[in-house]
Amino acid sequence: MADIAIPYSAVAAKRRREGLTAAALVGPATIFVTFCLLAPLVILFRYSLNEFVPTTKVMVEALTPANYIRFFTDPYYTAILATTVRVAVLVTAVCLLLGFPLAYVVARTQSRFKHLLIISIILPLFVGNAVRAAGWMTIFGTKGAVNATLLWLGLIDAPLQIMFTETAVIIGIIAVNLPFMVLTLQSVIEGIDRAVEEAAFSLGAPPGTMFRRVLWPLALPGIVAGTILTFILAMNAYATPFLLGGPRFKMMAPLVYDQFTKQANWPFGGSIAFILMTVTLLLTVAANLLLQRRAAR
Amino acid sequence: MSKSFMINRRTALGGAAALAAGTVLPAHAQDNKRIVVGTWGGDYSRLLAKNIETPLLAPKGWDVVKDEANAPPRRAKMMAEKALRRGTSDIQGLSANDMYEVNEQGLAEAIDYSKMPNAQNLIPAMKYPYGIGHIYSGKVVLYNPKLMAAPQGFADTLDPKHGNKLGIIDIQYQYTMLAAGLASGGSVGNFDPGKERLLACKKAGARIYPSNEAFAQALKTEEIACGIMWKARAVQWQNAGISVATVAPKEGVPMYVSGFMIPKNAPNKAGAYAYLDAMMAASAQEGFAVDMGYNPTVTNAKVPADVQERIGFTEEEKKRLVDLDYGYMGKNDTAFQEWWNKSFKA
Repeated sequence: MADIAIPYSAVAAKRRREGLTAAALVGPATIFVTFCLLAPLVILFRYSLNEFVPTTKVMVEALTPANYIRFFTDPYYTAILATTVRVAVLVTAVCLLLGFPLAYVVARTQSRFKHLLIISIILPLFVGNAVRAAGWMTIFGTKGAVNATLLWLGLIDAPLQIMFTETAVIIGIIAVNLPFMVLTLQSVIEGIDRAVEEAAFSLGAPPGTMFRRVLWPLALPGIVAGTILTFILAMNAYATPFLLGGPRFKMMAPLVYDQFTKQANWPFGGSIAFILMTVTLLLTVAANLLLQRRAAR
Repeated sequence: MSKSFMINRRTALGGAAALAAGTVLPAHAQDNKRIVVGTWGGDYSRLLAKNIETPLLAPKGWDVVKDEANAPPRRAKMMAEKALRRGTSDIQGLSANDMYEVNEQGLAEAIDYSKMPNAQNLIPAMKYPYGIGHIYSGKVVLYNPKLMAAPQGFADTLDPKHGNKLGIIDIQYQYTMLAAGLASGGSVGNFDPGKERLLACKKAGARIYPSNEAFAQALKTEEIACGIMWKARAVQWQNAGISVATVAPKEGVPMYVSGFMIPKNAPNKAGAYAYLDAMMAASAQEGFAVDMGYNPTVTNAKVPADVQERIGFTEEEKKRLVDLDYGYMGKNDTAFQEWWNKSFKA
């Protein structure tokens, strides 16, 4: 075959055109992320190093770690962080426990109503968190549906205090996060060939062993994704803890809002926001590594 | 591609500039007749439209746009816009206490009362240098007459003897601390003596509600029997069928003034003055008294006698009206919130 020489300049021009096309494709997203996410984060971080004058509620330019030190040395704030992590872990665990069987059934069903099942899982997402929390408020109130039913059945003598408790918040966040877990798991389980499970059964594996040795490892990418998604959403929950937790229950996201709006303390609010982000990131990475290491074993 | 369709840097920049100029110019022209009002949502916003915007401003060609939210986020927005030459709102509704604080933060325009003809009727105490008092009420004792006898004042109400029948509103922390202070020998400039009293109430089971509305709901379901709140709110709740009566406390009736101010960087100050002037019109003030239960801040408003009896204060009670020490409250607000969140609510 005869060699056909392509002039160097033509190759260079082609590469330049390809480069420009790639830049045009990546550009908008990059600009969006830079201006709408990174720039505010940089500004927020800078604010978190400023000082705050409580008597005039004015931020003063400075370069001090005082806000971070204040957070970690005051048991009031560390307790709020601990509550947030506790609630997020619990919510994630319950979502996984409730979500996996449901996702499995939805993924494996041959019913012609499968799409209705999926829609019924997605449907709650059409309602905003605040509206859903308002719904829970009517159920959990002293004269709400739960108490009225229990009183009517004679199971209790006096109304139970459900509103403004940690239990109410946990139930509320689980209801918000469960569809995210189910949808993530369902799409992964659907990709696992049913024949693999049948192979395990035909080789004599009981259902428990099949789940532990076959289904769980194969579904792990979905489990990791669903867990991360649910955990991050729970760590950053705002409307549910604010409305169902009441004035005495505090989680990190409402605390950030309080500092910015009620106290006008932007430096401290900024530092709490960064602490929340960092803790969420570290715990997510740690959980991810742990799960992957277990899977590799 | 033919060269005539290629867009170079200059054409792109030129086009963008032309587009930007095209979008900015008409908006600027419209601003002259557009007033952006930052206000609380719900009844307040609805009544501003009913009593001020529709009857007084719309006929003169003013177009009002509302930015509805509670005061803290609107204050945060003003703070965020501090460095901007043109802010996004022309007037902001805030309590007298908040107006004092935003003025301290350098956000408020000094009010030129000569620009508002209706200001001549404004009660002198409501003429703040940084804003006008729009309506006022007083902090009184609320109780359910079906469940208990009338308390005498703050000391009789903020008392551990009521156990979990006493309701306290979280967002009213300043006035609750003031009331407890007055009940325990403190003053408008010293809330500290009331702290022990509040802690004792909480220990006895006092219930804390996140909002005024949640407190009203608890009164309605008889979860609580007493608490403290603005007299105007009690009137609204009476109108809503809730069994609640009021007592002007013997220790003094702390005043609550709701006002409006102009941000320093308001884009349409002429519009802002037009709005403030309309707020002080007698008809608008009378409307607010009837619909919302607050007292007018102008001397020429004529409130029907039966309404006046329910929303106002007797001559004897008027002597007990207490104006607040906004300087003390502003300087110590952060400390109040710290105590309230960490010690009282913990």
